[in-house]
Amino acid sequence: MGQKIELACIIDDDKIYVNLVRKIIEIKHLSENLLIFKNGLEALDYFKVILTNMTEDKLPDIIFLDLNMPVMDGWEFLGEFIKIKNNFDKKIILYVVSSSIDPRDLERAKSFNLVTDYLIKPIELKKFEQIFDRDVA
Amino acid sequence: MLNDLQLNSILEDFDIAYWKINTLTNEITWSEHFEALVGKPSTQDSIFNYFLNNILHKDYKYDFRTAFESLSSETPQISQEIKLKLQNDKYRWFECRNLKSKENSNKDTAVLLFVNIHQSKRDQYTIEENFFYYRETAEMTSTGGWYIDTLHKAIYWDDVTKKILDCPGDYQVDYEERLRFYATDHQEKALSMFTKCEKYGIPFKTEIKMVTLYGREFWVRATGKPVYNEEQEIIGIRGVFQNIDENKNNELNLQNSLDIIAAQNSRLFNFAHIVSHNLRSHSSNLSLVVQLLSETQPLKDKMELLENIADISENLDVAISKLNEMVTHQDVMTKERKSTSFSSALDVVMASVSSLIKREGATIISDFKALKEIQYIPEYLESILLNLITNAIKYKQPGRKPVIFIQTYLFNDQSFMEISDNGMGIDLDQFGEKMFGMYKTFHRNSDAKGIGLFITKNQVETLGGSISVTSTVNIGTTFKIKF
Repeated sequence: MGQKIELACIIDDDKIYVNLVRKIIEIKHLSENLLIFKNGLEALDYFKVILTNMTEDKLPDIIFLDLNMPVMDGWEFLGEFIKIKNNFDKKIILYVVSSSIDPRDLERAKSFNLVTDYLIKPIELKKFEQIFDRDVA
Repeated sequence: MLNDLQLNSILEDFDIAYWKINTLTNEITWSEHFEALVGKPSTQDSIFNYFLNNILHKDYKYDFRTAFESLSSETPQISQEIKLKLQNDKYRWFECRNLKSKENSNKDTAVLLFVNIHQSKRDQYTIEENFFYYRETAEMTSTGGWYIDTLHKAIYWDDVTKKILDCPGDYQVDYEERLRFYATDHQEKALSMFTKCEKYGIPFKTEIKMVTLYGREFWVRATGKPVYNEEQEIIGIRGVFQNIDENKNNELNLQNSLDIIAAQNSRLFNFAHIVSHNLRSHSSNLSLVVQLLSETQPLKDKMELLENIADISENLDVAISKLNEMVTHQDVMTKERKSTSFSSALDVVMASVSSLIKREGATIISDFKALKEIQYIPEYLESILLNLITNAIKYKQPGRKPVIFIQTYLFNDQSFMEISDNGMGIDLDQFGEKMFGMYKTFHRNSDAKGIGLFITKNQVETLGGSISVTSTVNIGTTFKIKF
């Protein structure tokens, strides 16, 4: 096991899914803290506040972004996040996590440079461990 | 008076041969020219039998013999077209005629003339044959010919043209009334192409909708070319009409089917998208629960996880009933259109959302004077109104009481309905293209399910219409439906 991730971030409107992931992270001790936003806009507002207050220590190490959400979906979030991302020194890993198996979604997600990978729900527990382990090793 | 020699030479020049027959003895003498044409008769047989068996085409044997026997009658009259075999073994057409004997002169001598009519006979056949082909082709392809005498303002139609226009055979088309045979919306086009051809000699070849004498519309392919006189002035237009109604209708039907298939295909894509995004999310949650169950030790934690299963199954149930709602909404083809009144459809909708209207203090104003009813499926009109009205109330501008204005009207023979509100509006630059997609919500409104507009668009489009939207943030939104 490498260095533990300090802060992980989940942007997803599916409460059950978020609860389950929270449980996995607790049981497996994958991250110290967890940020949860139920749509893209809430997350974006959070990042904008960090930008204004220059409190980079509150930036997550890793983001799990859902695609289909109300108010601001994953695509719109990506479009906005890409504009402010370069203002942060910290390297942020971003995974798109969706239940969509539509190849067009997969293609589109990979066209964003800031997207590390596209994960299809459900994610295996082992995969979670690998991601948290490998990425901040 | 010409002597025999001179006469013979003239006859020869005109390719006319003759027989001299002694009506008493039936003795036959051939003219020199006749011999030159068919050859000398054999001496073994009588000249007549030789002629019947070797020279005359067998089709004419019986008729010729009968005619020949009538020579001895009081007033013989022979005029037959026969085929004779010449020296080169080829048959040629001749007209056989008897020379009328003048009174008292050579009563016992008859003369049979053989005039070569092969060329004219062949021309006649060619003309008949061409005419036959022309007629058959014209009938088979429903192609009629016509001529317009532009100098004298007269129109001539052939039989097939009259037939495809349902006109009787003796119908005379009046020049001034010529445009009545074109569909109203095609008259301008027809006038323009005839005028251009008449004035500038521009030929045309086009597909145009015509109207028969009895008002039945149909498609023709029309071609026309200018006719010039010797001074190279245009004196008329000549052309054909081909009835292509069946083909054109097939083409239009095909295009129609293509459109329907394309629309259904896009709906299927949407459906696949919903399945992918919505059903799978529940199954993946289930799978996560199962994985966690095997990783969790304390019974208390396991019980907690089981509660999730209840939630998941409830969500799954909701998702499936939404899908079901969508599929049933799309099952329209089986329903029949009927005369549907806007005001009674609105009454039904108002009754079903009266509590919402009362709670929000909404005002609904309608104006259906210009268009009171349409041929539609009543349930669809109600559903469309319901969705757009609840939408307008749901997305009211905070602090402002919702006002909804509904108006119907006709424009260019098309039926329209507009529904305007004073709500919060939609940023179309940002959401325009996704507006009518599945599960799209534009507002930070917890009530939003994002399925209403998708269904509305589907219903409008399935019945062959379209829906568009204009909106200003904080001012309001107008939906415009073309039926």
